[in-house]
Amino acid sequence: MMLLRMFLMQTKMNFVWYFRRDGEMMFWTLAMPVFFLVLFSFAFSTGPNSGSAKFLVPGIIGAQVLSSGFWGVGVMLATFREKHLLRRVYLTPMPPWVFFGSLVLYRMVLLAAQAVILVAAGALLFHVRITGNPLEILAILLLGTATFISLGTIIGALARTTESANNIASILTVPLAFLSDAYVPIDRFPHAVSSALRLLPSTQFIDTFRDVSTYGAPLAHYGAWIGLLVLWAIAGTLISARTFRWV
Amino acid sequence: MRACKVQRARAVQPPKPECGIRGHTTVEQAIVVEQLVKRYGDFAAVDGISFSVARGTIFGLLGRNGAGKTTTLECCIGLGKPTSGSVRVLGLDPTRPRDLARMRPRIGVQLQATSLPEKANVREVLELYAAYYGIASRAAEMAERVGLGDKLDRQIAQMSGGEQQRLALALALQHDPDVLFLDEPTAGMDAFGRRILWTEVERLRDAGKSIVLTTHYIEEAERLSDRICVIQRGTIVAEAPPAELVARYGGDATVSIVAGGFVPGEALAALGTWTNAGAKWTLATRGEPGLALATVVTRANAMGAKITSLDMHRPTLEDAFIAVTGETIGEAE
Repeated sequence: MMLLRMFLMQTKMNFVWYFRRDGEMMFWTLAMPVFFLVLFSFAFSTGPNSGSAKFLVPGIIGAQVLSSGFWGVGVMLATFREKHLLRRVYLTPMPPWVFFGSLVLYRMVLLAAQAVILVAAGALLFHVRITGNPLEILAILLLGTATFISLGTIIGALARTTESANNIASILTVPLAFLSDAYVPIDRFPHAVSSALRLLPSTQFIDTFRDVSTYGAPLAHYGAWIGLLVLWAIAGTLISARTFRWV
Repeated sequence: MRACKVQRARAVQPPKPECGIRGHTTVEQAIVVEQLVKRYGDFAAVDGISFSVARGTIFGLLGRNGAGKTTTLECCIGLGKPTSGSVRVLGLDPTRPRDLARMRPRIGVQLQATSLPEKANVREVLELYAAYYGIASRAAEMAERVGLGDKLDRQIAQMSGGEQQRLALALALQHDPDVLFLDEPTAGMDAFGRRILWTEVERLRDAGKSIVLTTHYIEEAERLSDRICVIQRGTIVAEAPPAELVARYGGDATVSIVAGGFVPGEALAALGTWTNAGAKWTLATRGEPGLALATVVTRANAMGAKITSLDMHRPTLEDAFIAVTGETIGEAE
């Protein structure tokens, strides 16, 4: 009961402090993905009714999962450390899982909101339909979120300053989004390159998520990718847990 | 460095059991630090410090910035791992995770740097910290206690440094801990904040709490501490109750007088050592300078010497500090 109260209040405060009272954050979270959808669908396709929005909606949601992990959790943790927030809460009886869990839940709620907005925008503007099994879509989305949050936490654990965390996150997120089938189909690259890019967890996740959601493929066909994502998530969690510092 | 035994300063303590029983509530020494060393590379921030803090007393760590006060305190609360030596707080070892977990609910800490989310307001922070400790929120009461009663909805970013420090104090106190660690608690505070904090700290001590505070304010150390430990370059250079530090290291009190025709003579020789520079006579005495002053004035009057200037200086803690460290605390603020 005591832990539940702690967990819920921390989650609520994350939402109030880092989202509701931060206009810039609200804008980036809620409006930018839709802006990307519109921009890229015109930039990369012949017209609104081509297949590109069907490609882009899950792609952008996938890119948001990436940046959620790298920025929303990784850079956020580095900022918390630099501002001495971490050392302050470390002195209280709050268990670490409450702190991380509430941060993860907060990011998941935001991701869910982003996904809903993008799906709605896709449906209204480009007639994109989600045809896959909702439970399977949710499952792969949760797995991807877990993977990238655990990988993002490594940034938060290793970066000494907010600035370096920011740089690492930028270096990772921007190229990854463009090289992982999020905005641009990697089939356009030479075969050797696209094969290499499929080794990235981001490509594995975004491809699977797209095929399952807008292309209606069964998740069972992606056992190998799922297995790899699980491994990435476990590796990320282990490395984070080993390297994380409160002070 | 020798281990300094601390006398019991208050009468209301339980009879002494063996020191260091893990987590035992009747451990007489709230904190025992032995031969603490903390190195960063080649630099020893703390270089063999030993002291103990009796229950229900205020222990002041006095020294310049960078003397090792904060590092010592961090080692006591589990924020820093000693390179060598040992620390016990309520009989618990903060380097052991299980002990640290048992320690946390029983200690309250006010850190030097503000460490709260900018967009949070006073009420929310107090409520969240109440949840951390599994206690009912006392936000309004706590805010009132630190003079923030009318600022419950104020966001951290809009508060002055002193107000943030007072909130930090409220967070350290809300769960009613047995031991308090205050790191430069009044740095950047105005006179109002200082008075609130000082009154609160004294009230807590009288309620039986044990308090460690670091400060580079002589006045603060002197007013609050039952014992003061002067730290310089990572070592303890003196440790005693403030009055004893002054008596031991502060040097002589002086009385000086300028009066036409005045000479101390035989009658005043017993008071101490007289020196003169021109018309000004100065007495250095170990005794009570107020009484010496009265005697000097009586003698001057009896001699018919007309007094034009009269001064008295009692040795202060600052004099003692300078005597033991060879430097002033030296920070203009």
